[in-house]
Amino acid sequence: MLKKMLPNFKSEYFWKLIPVLFFIIFISPVFFILSSLFSEYSENWNHLYNYVLINYISNSLILIIGVGILVSIIGVLTSWLVTSFNFKGKKIFEWALILPLSVPPYILAYTYTSLFDSTGSLNHFINNLFETNNDQTFFPNIRNVYGAIIVFSFTLYPYVYLISRVAFINYSKSIIESGRVLGLNRTQAFFKLSIPLIRPALIAGLALVIMETLSDFGAVEHFAIETFTTGIFRTWYGLYDLKTAMQLASFLLIFISIFLFIERASRNKMSYTTENSLYKKSEIETLTGFKSALAFMACFSPIFMGFLLPVAELINWSINYKLDFFNHQFLKISTTSILLALVTAFLCSIFSLIINYSIRYQNNKFLSLLSSSLTLGYAIPGLILAVGIVQLLTFFDSIEFSNSLNLVLTGSIFGLIFAYIIKSYALSSSTLESSFQRISFKIDDVSKTLGNAGWMMLFKVHIPLIKTGFLTSVLLVISEVIKELPATLILRPFNFDTLAVSAYIYASEERMFEAAAPSMAIVLIGLIPIYFLSKIIKESRPGVNL
Amino acid sequence: MIENKALQISDLKHKYNPNDFILNSVNFSIDEGEIVSLLGASGSGKTTLLRLIAGLEVLKYGSIEIEGVTVANKKKLIPPNKRNVGLVVQERVLFPHLNVLKNVIFGIKAKKKEKINRGMELLELFRVNQYKNSYPSQLSSGEQQRVAIARAIAPKPKILLMDEPYGSLDKELREELRLETKKILKENKITCMIVTHDIGDAEALSDRIMKIENGKIQEY
Repeated sequence: MLKKMLPNFKSEYFWKLIPVLFFIIFISPVFFILSSLFSEYSENWNHLYNYVLINYISNSLILIIGVGILVSIIGVLTSWLVTSFNFKGKKIFEWALILPLSVPPYILAYTYTSLFDSTGSLNHFINNLFETNNDQTFFPNIRNVYGAIIVFSFTLYPYVYLISRVAFINYSKSIIESGRVLGLNRTQAFFKLSIPLIRPALIAGLALVIMETLSDFGAVEHFAIETFTTGIFRTWYGLYDLKTAMQLASFLLIFISIFLFIERASRNKMSYTTENSLYKKSEIETLTGFKSALAFMACFSPIFMGFLLPVAELINWSINYKLDFFNHQFLKISTTSILLALVTAFLCSIFSLIINYSIRYQNNKFLSLLSSSLTLGYAIPGLILAVGIVQLLTFFDSIEFSNSLNLVLTGSIFGLIFAYIIKSYALSSSTLESSFQRISFKIDDVSKTLGNAGWMMLFKVHIPLIKTGFLTSVLLVISEVIKELPATLILRPFNFDTLAVSAYIYASEERMFEAAAPSMAIVLIGLIPIYFLSKIIKESRPGVNL
Repeated sequence: MIENKALQISDLKHKYNPNDFILNSVNFSIDEGEIVSLLGASGSGKTTLLRLIAGLEVLKYGSIEIEGVTVANKKKLIPPNKRNVGLVVQERVLFPHLNVLKNVIFGIKAKKKEKINRGMELLELFRVNQYKNSYPSQLSSGEQQRVAIARAIAPKPKILLMDEPYGSLDKELREELRLETKKILKENKITCMIVTHDIGDAEALSDRIMKIENGKIQEY
């Protein structure tokens, strides 16, 4: 009897245990970080607390307030324009406004310093244009917190744009009409009705931007701004004090958790904007003349600043370097990066596939909650994750079991892949989740009654039906992994460079022309998710489903 | 010697909400080769009963026996893939990535050649053999439902369960299909339980009609 029941026992429990197991593995680096809060505080901590912590906090606050204001203006204005009006170039702007997402903040920082510094390309260009004295400087110093605000704003505003656009499309236009009938002019209706209606979406988008800003390492480090991430890095690599670095990381993690909570809570509230959605084609006003030109400029400027200008500068570097970057070293680094990204993307997509399938198979709320907690990995800054993983791997290496196997995980590629998977799980899981949702549960019922449940149903029914989603997940993770810098810097094995690390090293040595090739490659690969997002945008265009 | 019933339901109860039994003390049996319809309004619990028999819902009270073997009671739960029951639902849920022949042979456990022979035999029986290489999206709704029934009976199930099998078809096609289905089920001595809210389907297809009301079963 027991033998007869065993396969059922195994199968049932296997699909239940899988998400729990992944949850424990994913959460363990965070556990190691937070546990440092309860350990002893060293001399270094006292030094940080007395002299630099206040700088970290004030710089971080200035950054997030500045970036928050600027991305709100850019994101809301552009999304409102492309959803409420017809004007020249609107159909291109709808998707082109997300192009800056393909440029990581650190690459924008590298190109901006090269463009706007006193000896930069733009100063040089203007001096040549007006035949002025070459000493003339036309732009203020960008290597400060205000420069960083500009850099983050022009690369991160698409988060607010994307989420606000959906909110603008979905709220009921009749509410605005009612407001107009009640005496509001267009501007008043925008501020008194449109903005409050999309507020939850705006807050969710802003929270994402703030989390990204606080997590960044490459851009703030290039501008030499003292923030939590640069502090963690210096404490660890400068003072060789991992424990204090972890304690700093814990504070940043708590700080970020607040914004994560705000983001999640705002997303839940967003549903009210999607009720009673009604789109009437006639409601979109066509702008002409000066107004059309203004709308065009408002949408073109962020694309120019966040994508065209940095890409032009990267091309400029490449030309100056006489395209000499296609050498053995570059090819080696590219191959390493792509192979690493490919392996990670497959592993991450397989994990997401198994977890999402087990949740569907068990139809269990607790498991679904666990999976949703796993998606929070994207919010953990790469640097903090790296610190946690190093601690975790050191712990594993120290236990007897690893010693008996002669296993050394610290400093191996394993830690790097682990970090990438935690960071990219949300991307992969959301893609596969929506693919699974398109399959009727009746298909599962029929498959089960025909003798194919568990793995058999996964392989024979679900995988063939979600293969496009799986491929999309792989491509999205590849682009995410290629861009990742802080975790890679810390966790990469000795003498192991990726495109991001290579761009960082060249840029930190001010060898910008040499940084062109890896930076360009990162931007090009970063265009992959833009392609998928632009497809979603086209499908979500108002009236497309009418 | 007591003859085994194809299906025996004893003292079955089921609830989704505490203190609110959607099925309450259900007792009935179906003989081998018999076609029985269960009539009931929407939300009366007839689909739930079918899902409990198929093993798609977990039984907590009572027992279900198929051909004399207990497949579910308080202590035991044989999963749907091990019960050998066939299921046809209202929505035509053919596997969209498989052609007609592959859909039909999906549940057959045999060597490839035997599977194909059995599949072709069924396609001929349901007069859809010309579509063996077509994909579900290329078939009409009637053809899709024929393939769905062929697929369900392909592994020679102990009992065929049909949930509103003709619910989404127009009147003419519905009449044609139910006559054809009854003929095939009878000729092949397949035990079948159909749940429907349509008295026409029930009368045309079944040897016996039962009714479900307030969670209890009555002979019609």
